[in-house]
Amino acid sequence: MNSAENMEGERILTLSDLVKYPFMPEAADEVRRLDFRIEHLLNPDYEPVLERAEKRIIEALTTNPPEVSYNPHEYSEYVEILSFPAAIVLAAALANDYVKRRYALAEARRAYGFLRTEKEDKIINIAGRFGWRIRALNMQISFTKFDFALNFIDYLKNATLFHEKEWKMVNRLVHGGEVYLSKQDVARLLQEEVRRYIESKINLSVSSKIPEGVLERVEDLKRICSEKIKEAPPEQISSSVIDDAFPPCMRELYSAIKAGRHVSHAGRFALTSFLLNVGMEPEAIIDLFRKSPDFNERIARYQIEHIAGEKGSRTRYTPPKCDTLRTHGLCLGADNLCGRVRHPLTYYLRRAKSFRVGEEERIDEIKEG
Amino acid sequence: MDNLTFIREAFSKFYNENIDRIEVPKSIGSREFGFTMFREGVMVRHKGFINPEDLKEFIKKNVPSNVYYSAAYYSVPEAKMDEKGWLGSDLFFDIDADHIPTKCDKKHDTWTCRGCGFKGRGEAPEKCPSCSGESFDEKTWLCEVCLETARNETIKLVDMLMDDLGFSPKEIKCSFSGHRGYHVQVESEYILNLDSNARKEIVDYVTGTGIDAVFHGLEEIGDGKTVFLAGPSLNDAGWRGRAARGVYEFLLTATDIDLKKLGLKKKVVERILANRDEILASWKVNGPWNMIEGLGLEGWRKIINYGVTFQSAKIDTVVTSDVHRLIRLPGTLHGKTGLLKISFPISRIEDFDPLREALAFKSGEVEVYVDEAPAFRLGDDVFGPFEKQKAVLPLSAVILLLCKNAARVIDQHV
Ligand code: SF4
Ligand SMILES: [Zn+2]
Ligand SMILES: [Zn+2]
Repeated sequence: MNSAENMEGERILTLSDLVKYPFMPEAADEVRRLDFRIEHLLNPDYEPVLERAEKRIIEALTTNPPEVSYNPHEYSEYVEILSFPAAIVLAAALANDYVKRRYALAEARRAYGFLRTEKEDKIINIAGRFGWRIRALNMQISFTKFDFALNFIDYLKNATLFHEKEWKMVNRLVHGGEVYLSKQDVARLLQEEVRRYIESKINLSVSSKIPEGVLERVEDLKRICSEKIKEAPPEQISSSVIDDAFPPCMRELYSAIKAGRHVSHAGRFALTSFLLNVGMEPEAIIDLFRKSPDFNERIARYQIEHIAGEKGSRTRYTPPKCDTLRTHGLCLGADNLCGRVRHPLTYYLRRAKSFRVGEEERIDEIKEG
Repeated sequence: MDNLTFIREAFSKFYNENIDRIEVPKSIGSREFGFTMFREGVMVRHKGFINPEDLKEFIKKNVPSNVYYSAAYYSVPEAKMDEKGWLGSDLFFDIDADHIPTKCDKKHDTWTCRGCGFKGRGEAPEKCPSCSGESFDEKTWLCEVCLETARNETIKLVDMLMDDLGFSPKEIKCSFSGHRGYHVQVESEYILNLDSNARKEIVDYVTGTGIDAVFHGLEEIGDGKTVFLAGPSLNDAGWRGRAARGVYEFLLTATDIDLKKLGLKKKVVERILANRDEILASWKVNGPWNMIEGLGLEGWRKIINYGVTFQSAKIDTVVTSDVHRLIRLPGTLHGKTGLLKISFPISRIEDFDPLREALAFKSGEVEVYVDEAPAFRLGDDVFGPFEKQKAVLPLSAVILLLCKNAARVIDQHV
């Protein structure tokens, strides 16, 4: 039985729900049923899909706080549903960390807007997509109403990223392993889950399938975006370091540190030595680590300088090879280039080269045109 | 024979006869082991054992003064910290009298300033009153009051783990640490992958850190003209009920000094004290929230936030959020006491007698010269107090005194 159907075989999520929640597996089923493939984007019949996909990304970059629009009268349900996976591919091809995070956030905030007032069974269905152990309640204690009970581990996975007092578990009603929540709270936690999920979908392996013709559109989009990105607060680590050229392993560690998530010692060492080797300043690395929950400036400074070879030892450490990263579970070796390198630095150097070459070529094209 | 040799021989004999009392941890091959040795006084870490027999042989052969293993699981436990490959970790809590204020005020403990030799009783101060030095030699003692306090904290913790966090008794392991406290370990596949941020949230939960009454039912209800206060009730679930019970407990015995410390006005404090019985009776109905003139939301908020400290479990917070921590192995001897770290089912938490059930050395008497020791109980017998005197004592008492460096052996036969 399809997870979108209940006991009577009736769908819980309708087509118009999938417009609202295009990240659900049922939406992907729909995409498959329509036999939509990324090559089709070149077909003029699919122009509205490509256009809407581009618009999703542009909206993410131009609205503040970012949110993708919802206008059921402007596009058909199919255009809406198909444009989501298309936008993921475009976002991946843009290969920019800021675009990726911004887009994921914009889609997640859009979903939050719907979830806040969604029916309980639909919320449970969507939460189930992410493996949440959740059930509906209809409970009132004194003057507080609770709509859901969520397993406390699923709660912590998302709530530890929020820093407001009300999200501390100690300020929640917790009983029998469940956190009692309002619908609004569940929607907010789901937003976080959806955001991380979409971010994880935007990766280079997706973009490798892009046909030539669509790549031209990506280039156009890049130009539009680059203006928007310039207006955004600087996130680039340093002019000479091309973070879009990071291998998946370092990309992941880098964003984990940036988000203040916990990173193992092995992970920190790998990232620090990698960043030093691609030319990031120790000072900038210290700033990067500042967000870590256990940041201690003195210790961080000592460690980074030690790895840089300024203190204690004279040798600069090179980052561990892919083999070593693999044994630590830090390898995400998901893309083509990964298969051809044995060291994350090699990966970076090759990719960075292609970035630089790419820029020059583009300038040439413009001159000729 | 010097003390260390004597203790080591007793430990050796114990391990040779009782090695099967060791509780081999689940997935032994994924755990890191650590040991301290009698002579070297250093920690040997990053040890790994594929099977229980190797571990037991190692202990019998080397007779460590303390045996530890990791709450974490690693792919390569013997590797350097950075290269172990962390796979997950049990959820671990340490309740130690060292971290809890006790009624005995730790008067049985002494400290000596390393800088100037100044001595004092109780917990070491932050700074030496004589030379402002910050480093001390501390001598701690085993005390029933301390152990009772630790037991109470453990009971509160286990309560929260079951009622609030929903763990089953089967998933929770309790043990006496072998010294001044208890260990509580949760083994469940669900918690293995929790990162240290999530563990820190659990720490804050059980210690009531960051709690605010306004999230637990304390609120103003009304239309602006007639406003009244609502608050949590004694039987509410989770911290809601705990907060109410904490306030109940607090107001049962609160003195005017206690209340003034919270920053309440003199008149309000007087009214609370004058209406103590009515307040306590009010819990059966709507609670005391609207009974005291001049005591509004902010005042009650302070009282509740303080009442929480009666209900929170005072654990060593660093231990739980550290996902690489080494913990003492159950069934091994504590180097500071010669007592066993010993596990017991949580149903026994109320009646478990650590000073009887953790005794490892059951036969033999030895004559010792005792420098100084307060009275102490082991099993049914009370020993001491001692002050520069000879005494013939059972082996368990002797080992305790020797481990505490409070005595030396006269007769050499074990
Ligand atoms: S293959 Fe190498 S570069 Fe690619 S993710 Fe794995 S470790 Fe990193
Ligand atoms: Zn001093
Ligand atoms: Zn005591």
